[in-house]
This record gives sequence, structure tokens and C-alpha cells, in this order.
Amino acid sequence: MFYEYEIDYDTQNSYEKGLNEAFWQFLVVPEENDTQELTYWHFENDLGERNSVSINGLGFRTVQVRSKKEIDHIKFNAHFKLIKKEVNPFDFELPLDSKEDYDQLRSLDFRIDHEPFLRNTRLTHLPEKYATIFPFDENVSLFENLQALNQWVFNKIFFKPGVTDVHTHMEEIIEKRHGVCQDFTHLFCAIAKKNGVPTRYVSGYLHQGNGFFGDSQMHAWVEAFVPNAGWIGFDPTNNLLANHNHIKVCHGKDYTDCAPLKGVVYTLGKNETKYSVLVKAAQQQQQ
Amino acid sequence: MGSATEKTIFSSYVRKEGLFDEVFKGNGNVKSVYQKLLDLYGSRSIEDYVNLNTKAKSSFFNQGITFQVYGDKQSQEKIFPFDLFPRIIDPKEWEIIEKGAIQRSLALNHFLWDVYHDKKIVKDGIVPIELLSSSPNYLHQMMNVDPPSKVYNHISGTDIIKHSDGNYYVLEDNIRCPSGVSYVICNRTALKRALFGVFNHYKTHTVTNYAENLLHLLESVKPPGVDSPVCVVITPGMFNSAYYEHSYLAKAMGVELVEGRDLFVENDFVYMKTTQGPVRVDVVYRRVDDLFIDPMEFNPDSALGVPGLFAAYQKGNVTIANAPGTGVADDKAIYTYVPDIIKYYLDEEPILKNVHTYHCSRPDELKYVLENVKELVVKPVDEAGGYGISIGNKLTKDEIEKVKAEVKANPRKYVAQPIMSLSVHPTYIDEKESFEQRHVDLRTFTVLGHDQQFVLKGGLTRVALKEGNLIVNSSQGGGSKDTWVLKQ
Repeated sequence: MFYEYEIDYDTQNSYEKGLNEAFWQFLVVPEENDTQELTYWHFENDLGERNSVSINGLGFRTVQVRSKKEIDHIKFNAHFKLIKKEVNPFDFELPLDSKEDYDQLRSLDFRIDHEPFLRNTRLTHLPEKYATIFPFDENVSLFENLQALNQWVFNKIFFKPGVTDVHTHMEEIIEKRHGVCQDFTHLFCAIAKKNGVPTRYVSGYLHQGNGFFGDSQMHAWVEAFVPNAGWIGFDPTNNLLANHNHIKVCHGKDYTDCAPLKGVVYTLGKNETKYSVLVKAAQQQQQ
Repeated sequence: MGSATEKTIFSSYVRKEGLFDEVFKGNGNVKSVYQKLLDLYGSRSIEDYVNLNTKAKSSFFNQGITFQVYGDKQSQEKIFPFDLFPRIIDPKEWEIIEKGAIQRSLALNHFLWDVYHDKKIVKDGIVPIELLSSSPNYLHQMMNVDPPSKVYNHISGTDIIKHSDGNYYVLEDNIRCPSGVSYVICNRTALKRALFGVFNHYKTHTVTNYAENLLHLLESVKPPGVDSPVCVVITPGMFNSAYYEHSYLAKAMGVELVEGRDLFVENDFVYMKTTQGPVRVDVVYRRVDDLFIDPMEFNPDSALGVPGLFAAYQKGNVTIANAPGTGVADDKAIYTYVPDIIKYYLDEEPILKNVHTYHCSRPDELKYVLENVKELVVKPVDEAGGYGISIGNKLTKDEIEKVKAEVKANPRKYVAQPIMSLSVHPTYIDEKESFEQRHVDLRTFTVLGHDQQFVLKGGLTRVALKEGNLIVNSSQGGGSKDTWVLKQ
């Protein structure tokens, strides 16, 4: 089964005092992988500057815009068409003996190969006092533990926009039990890493047709590495495995690697950022 | 000429028991390489010496050769205290230093390639993965990036001491943005002005060709497909403690000195803004730390870097020297593995020795360190410039407890070494109006290019000006001496 999507990413940044030099980098282009095929892209900015496509340090496409004129705002639009292949997230074999998974997690070669995604970062660091908040049960498979963690995070945190930001400590998220998809994702990553499972933060779009919690803007979820199965997507905000509604843009160690917009502007005044995302399912194709 | 009643320069020089003096033997006789110098100047009076030294110092002021001590609110800039009495290294000893410095730099370059590619040394169990994963300088973005000519540590500053056993030991490998080479050249210039006659009696290797050699090697690691590369030196700006050096090197190489805002990136190429329009830049000799070079990839608040620089680098359109991520090997915890690193990649025995180091991250070694703080030098693994170092036998009881608590709270952050007895060199001390023994070390500068390398034949002899002090860094109030490497 194939799904065809159209995605619109729109942003407007305004600068109170104006600026005469700026550089913006957008990390909003869907990744091309086994389940995603990008068939069309178009970028526009209202400054008349070039939209240069580049690759960032983690291998994902970015769009860079540089302005050297006196301006007080930038509008940027990205339009994509994409074909998404439906895959069965359960399409792998659980090991007969669950010990195999855990032995592999503990092996030196495994920890070296997956080092970047086992590393603690500021945003995925589980506070010491919560180190055993969700220990894995080694009598069942790793995949089942991750599913249980997905559900646990979903039940633990209440979706509430506007109360957290990138500076919020994980301690506060655990104690106040509220947050948005970034917070669900970071908490999942922190606990899984504590249990020795490589995890990465995924940024992307969520097709909202079915009434999921996204944040009506860009969405975040987790990919966890399960030996013999590979990277599997978990969406703890919705207690789901990532499916054909999850359109991936990029992954990284945490949100910092995946911020959709980074900019360097030379200005003294305040600035304001607005953006919106629209994901439409064009049609379903039976093939 | 001094008369018999005046004090000659060494008439009140006291040699202390147990210190390794580089000029005088145990029996008080002068070592052979210094004989000529003492024949020429030994009978001069202290006054003559002071006059010459003052002249030499004023030339530093006049040239604006200054540095700044962080955390010192009193003054912005100081001249680097300079001592006219030179240090002389004979050709045989120099050969060891030179070979040893090159061996270390090459081995560390292999190590950097490996940790950013197959990580064989980690898989073979030589270096623990935890050392890498806990290092903020181990950059995920550099994984599988191939730097031009496979060079990471283009410029290394290796700090070497001569121990009382007569052997040379390496204290540190500085491979982020080692500084000090401008002082080497300025010291020589000042000495040539003050004591021009002496160079007729000594066959000393020149140091003033450093910039020329550096430019040649930087050009050799240009990106593929570039014919005559444009190089620049990028500085964090005039408030950086080494700004003088940045401007000196740019001028001496005949290239532009730029700050981040003077460069921009378009379509993954780097350009310099000039009055004649943009000029493409091919090689960036950066004196800005990794985490500040590109706010798109690293510290997003950095105003010192160039947005988009890393993407241009990764695409092979520009060379950055030293390569991003090199700092992972400039970590005092990695230092302890350098002898193993040399054996692993080069299948050679280390030419220069390491000082034995205890890792506070290992429980048994932590225990030893905590019990013996008084006999040890405790250092943070990731600080440069001598900041945060405590020397056990100089600490009060309270200070010892403080160090212990600090180490216990954050063991990965600290290593400890036995207190080494650095050699001493006669140094003129203003307040005492005489020469006294002061501890010295030597910072050597090694440059790696495309299939070629060189060590500057000379180096920065740093002097700890306080009596008995072992920390020689300029940021800790150290001084310097001209260092002569004699020709065969």
C-alpha cells in the first residue's frame, strides 16, 4: 500500500529593529529512505534570495538562505510531495531467547558501533534519582520492553503545549507530568539509553487525519535500535509505533540536532517566529 | 666591563641541592654548550645585563607583543616577561625531541582517523569507549568525514620537560589551537638585537622561517582541485589572549586575518568579504575552538564562527586546520594512552616518555589519588593554559580537602601525576637583582602537511618566575627565554 502526501511548511520571522545581515538554515526536507520517496520539492522566500540546498553534519538535507540587505522579516515556504510506503512495524522475528538481545546490547562492539546514540546529552540525561524509574525486564524481549516504555511514557506525561521549552529540565517534566512531543521523546530516549538501548530523536511531520496528538506543527518521535530488527520508530506522544502517518525529516541525539530552523542574525531588537505545517493525504494508491 | 668589585652576572647564583641545573654541572663547572656564552658575558656586571634586558623588553612593548590574563581585572594587556639568558639545546638532544614530537603527532593523527572511522583501537580494547563518549570534543559530525590529505592535527604544541633524571618527558599534547609560536620568533628577534655578536660564535638554527613553512604545509593540504589556495587566519577577535599571535602569523604568512563575520558561506563555498567583492577561501587556519566555528552545527549562540562552514568542510570545499574534532585527542585522559597509541599504529616504542598518570575515573586509582593528594599534581582533563591545576605539596590542609571533594564529585574530570622535578635555568629576577634557578619547560611546535612534516627547530622555553613554582603557562604568570637549537 502506498500513500501520497503533500506537505506545506510556512514560516515568518519578524525582527523589531531590522537587520542587514542574516543566515537561516531550515531542516524541514523529508528524508529519502526505504519507505519515503520525495517526488517534488519547491522552496520560496520573499527576500528574493537564493535557497541553497546543503547537507548538515549528520547527513540530512538543509535549505540555507543568506540575506545581505536591510530587512525586517523573512517569509519562507517549502512545499513537498511524497510517496510513503506502508510497512508492517511488526515485520521482524523476535528472538527465541530474549537473552540474546541483552547480550548483544552489552557487547563492546555493539556499544562502539552505536556510540553516538548511547551518549548522554543535556536533553536526554535521566536525573540520577530517577535512574531506575523504568528498569527493563530481561525475561521478555527488548521489543516488548520498548513497547511497554512507550505506553508508560504516554500514560506518565500529559500533552500540554506552552508549558515547557528546550531549557526545561527532565526532572520538571517527570515531576509536573506535562509537556509536548519533544518532552515525551526525550524522556523515552533517556530511559531507553539508561537501559543500554541506542535511541535517536526523530523530527518530522505527522499526518493528522486520524485525530492524533501532534502539535499541529512539526512532530517528534523516537527510533530505538533493536538487535536483529534494526531501528524501530516509537511515538510515545500517541502510544503508537511509527507508521505511514509519520513522515521523517531527520534524526539526531536530541532536539538540538534537529531544530527545524537555526539562524544567525545581527540585530539588537526582539524577534518573533511563527510557523505552520499542513499535511494532506492526496490519495491512496493500491499497488 | 665590570671591575672586580662589581657583581658579575653569576657571582651570587645559588645552586640548590637536588635540582637539575641546565647550565651548571654538579661540581659547579659550566656545561660545554654554554661555555662560549659565559666566556663572552660571564665577566659582565649585573648592571650591564639589566641594561640590555631593559632594552630588549622595550622592543616588545614597542612592537605591541602582549597577552592578557583571563580573570585579571587589573589590566587588559601585559608583555610576556622575557629573559635574555638563552636556553641552548645540543644537536643530539634535539634529535630525540624532534623525532619524538613527530612520532607523537603522527600517532595521534592515526588515532583521530581511527576514532572517526572504524574505531579499531577501541574495538581492540586499547582505549576505552567511555573516554570518547564522555568527551565533549568527540564530534558526531566528524564521523566518516575524510579531511584533506587525511590530516587532523596540522599544528601540535607538545610540552616537554627535562626531569632531574636527565630524560625528557612529555607533559601535554596541545592539539586544539596551541599558541606561543609568535613569542619564539619575537624572542629571537629581541635577542639578536641585544646580543648580536654572540650569534657569530654559535651555529644556531633559525626560527624566523616558521610562518613560511607553516604556509607551505597549509597550502599542501588544500582541498582537491584547487591550484593556488587562498588561506586565511580566523581569530575570535582582539579580546582573545592570543590575538597578537593571530595577527602576527597572518602578517608573516602574507594572508588575511579575519573574524567570523568577515567570511560567509554560499552554496557550500566559503568566501571572504573584500572591497573588491567576495574572494573564495580554500584553507582556514582557525584559532577559534571547535564548538564555536559554526553555529549551525555546534554552539548555536556562537557569534565567533561562520554559519555553514562545517557543511562546506564536509563537502570538501575548504580545509580547516586543525580539523574539527581534533580536540578529542587533546584530553589529559587520552594523554595517558599515547604510548599505547604509538605502539598500536606505528609499531614503535615511544621516543619521548610520558609522565605516569592516574585516572580518577578508575576506582582503585581514584582511591590512591584521594589518599595522596599531597604528593600529586591534580589536573582537570579538559582545561588548557594551566587553569585548575593544583600541586599537592603547595596546598594548605583546607585546600587539600577542597581538591578531594572536587575530584570525588567528578572523577572523570580529573587526572593526577607525580610531582615532576622540572629542570632549572638561571633566570634574572628583578626583585632580587640577581640570577636564580627557575623551573623551565619547552613547548615545541610540530606541523603536519601532505606527506611532510616539520618541527620548529627551537621552541618556547617557559619559565615559572615564582621561586619553586612548577606551572609555567603564560596565563599563570610565566615568562620565556629564547631557545637555541645548535647545528651539528
